[in-house]
Amino acid sequence: MSTEECILAAGIDVGSSAVKFALVRDGGNGDASVLVLHNERIRRRDLRKVIREGYEASLEAAGVRQKDISYTASTGEGELVDFRRGHFYGMTTHARGAVFLLPGIGAVIDIGALHARAMRVDEHSRVMAYRMTSQCASGSGQFLENVARYLGIMLEDVGPLSCEAKNPESVSSICAVLAETDVINMVSRGISRSDILKGIHLSMAGRYTKLLRSIDACGDVAITGGLAADIGLCRALEEKIAEEKLAMRVRTHPRSIYAGAIGAALWGAYRHRVLARRTEVVA
Amino acid sequence: MSVVEVLLGVDLGSTTTKAIALDRSGRIIGRGITNTRSNYEVASQIVRDEALVQSRFELVRHAMAADPELAGIEKKFIGSLVRNFRQRQHLEQLEWLESELRRCADAPRYAPNREAVREALNHICQAMRARVPGHFSELAVRKSDFFRDLAAVDYMQAAEQFSDAKHASFDVLCGLFDAAILVVENAAGDRAFERHAGPALEQTLAAAPADIREREARLRAAVESVRSLELRVLGIIGTGYGRQRLPFPKEQIRSEILCHGFGAHAMFAGTRTVLDIGGQDTKAIQVDGAGIVTSFQMNDRCAAGCGRYLGYIAEEMNLGLHELGKLAQESTCSVKINSTCTVFAGAELRDRLSLGQKVPDILAGLHRAIMLRAMSLLARSGGISDEFTFTGGVARNPAAVSALQGLVQQNYGVRKLNISPESIYTGALGAALFAQRAAEGGNAA
Repeated sequence: MSTEECILAAGIDVGSSAVKFALVRDGGNGDASVLVLHNERIRRRDLRKVIREGYEASLEAAGVRQKDISYTASTGEGELVDFRRGHFYGMTTHARGAVFLLPGIGAVIDIGALHARAMRVDEHSRVMAYRMTSQCASGSGQFLENVARYLGIMLEDVGPLSCEAKNPESVSSICAVLAETDVINMVSRGISRSDILKGIHLSMAGRYTKLLRSIDACGDVAITGGLAADIGLCRALEEKIAEEKLAMRVRTHPRSIYAGAIGAALWGAYRHRVLARRTEVVA
Repeated sequence: MSVVEVLLGVDLGSTTTKAIALDRSGRIIGRGITNTRSNYEVASQIVRDEALVQSRFELVRHAMAADPELAGIEKKFIGSLVRNFRQRQHLEQLEWLESELRRCADAPRYAPNREAVREALNHICQAMRARVPGHFSELAVRKSDFFRDLAAVDYMQAAEQFSDAKHASFDVLCGLFDAAILVVENAAGDRAFERHAGPALEQTLAAAPADIREREARLRAAVESVRSLELRVLGIIGTGYGRQRLPFPKEQIRSEILCHGFGAHAMFAGTRTVLDIGGQDTKAIQVDGAGIVTSFQMNDRCAAGCGRYLGYIAEEMNLGLHELGKLAQESTCSVKINSTCTVFAGAELRDRLSLGQKVPDILAGLHRAIMLRAMSLLARSGGISDEFTFTGGVARNPAAVSALQGLVQQNYGVRKLNISPESIYTGALGAALFAQRAAEGGNAA
């Protein structure tokens, strides 16, 4: 086989609350395109099954079969993707996916259900520096999801509601689990849901600017991970950056939540070519 | 109309709100508990009503015991009466949940799939109704006493069965439940006894064996006499996590530390150290011989080490809190849990499960983890003196208790450990006793 031939690669990003799938067509000269993206929320279902079903749904959407895929790569908590060929560390896949979606960025902040991590990247999507949040879920995506549930709000309504806030309620760091009571307190004090959500978004954003500062990020910063879809959080991060007068600009992409999966697929395609070239040399 | 005077203590916890009703002699006649997540005003109203409902059942028992023809059968009869009563309450709430679900499903966002969503809801609700009698049969081991928990488990199981990925996804159905249950669980059971006691009595009598039915007239009279009673609340004291927001004047509020110390002393007079693991806080309290607090330490900033930790784990596993401890006790080789944070422990649990580790072993590790946090709090409050009383919801969990026993033995040697089956009501009991004191003081003056 020629190494310049177009190949298909799949990336599976297993997070703690959702599994993201990407099918990528890669021409080998940096001309890759995304065929299918698919997101499957886990919701306490059997993870192996979720992965299998999501993968099959992605193949079906692209009209291809498993044997057409040259390389299937996992990232995140990918141990359960037993049909994968290789695994890539989350940091490198998010960097790769973010640079692919938003060329020219200087940093990435990946905000997932449990962790947030900031990475400084170069134009080849190499990670130059990084920093992660600590071992506490306060201010994580799961935290926000819990709060939304206590408020009886659908996750997709969180962002738009937050954007309507008039007087954001200032929230200090609170335990993701005990937040239930704090939220109840706020509700019974008559604070609107918008103001509660915005307050939480601002407190989370403060945490992320701290992470970004600690790695000397500057220029365009891409948000990836599940929370990239939260317009309220993106706005709050913009506001925090302006307030702290940082030389950064927030950038998002409609496909940002798939950055990890896309990155994994791209790295998979790359590795496939490297391996194929080696076999050719040996032959 | 005859009057029975009662004194109430209300403990507004974070997970559950509890109430104790005492009669004038200080005897406990009613208990109430709710897990509503609504504001404190609603929670204390629900739990007050619940305690008064229970008081009426207790008064029926007194009336039966006082009647020579009925004495001896009261336990069996009231057990069955209460089950029928609860089932009627449950069905009423379920009906309401159904209408809320339908209302939520009318939101514009579901318009493209409205028929599919409605149909899935119909199937789910039917399945839920079918499971109700099972929850309230004589031999039933219920996973929880709360409507929300029972309904959530039934709903999720049915939703998994009746969801379809394209038109009525599991995700959408979960969202509908979250929105609907918020409305339903926040309704007080006002006048529940008046409404349900009659039909529950008929149901009980219809299914009763001949020897009980023979005494039908006297049984009706006993229930009727209590139904027409006035329960007059002479005094009420509130305490707990939400006490600042209690709908009572300031002089009717006591700190939860004081109430727990006092309540533990009332249950076990020899108590010197109290460990209370509540939903959102853990307290280590040292008391003197009169039940007065001498020092304490408290964690209320982090869920790790609090009851909510286990509650969160139970939710993660779709289990009732009642089942968690029992399962953990089946462990043969406890796992060491690395995460401190509750949410992270939940993720660690999922990882370990998917790697094939055994549920009981993981759960045993989680129970030990929560107790390790409690031990450090106890050490900071001044250690553990004899006798040691363990209270709060977690004291009902056998795996938590045995983990604690092991750690106490290891660190302090032999200590007498007191646990009351009613320990979840310790704070409410302390508060009710303060209410009794206040009422007596008022009479003397």
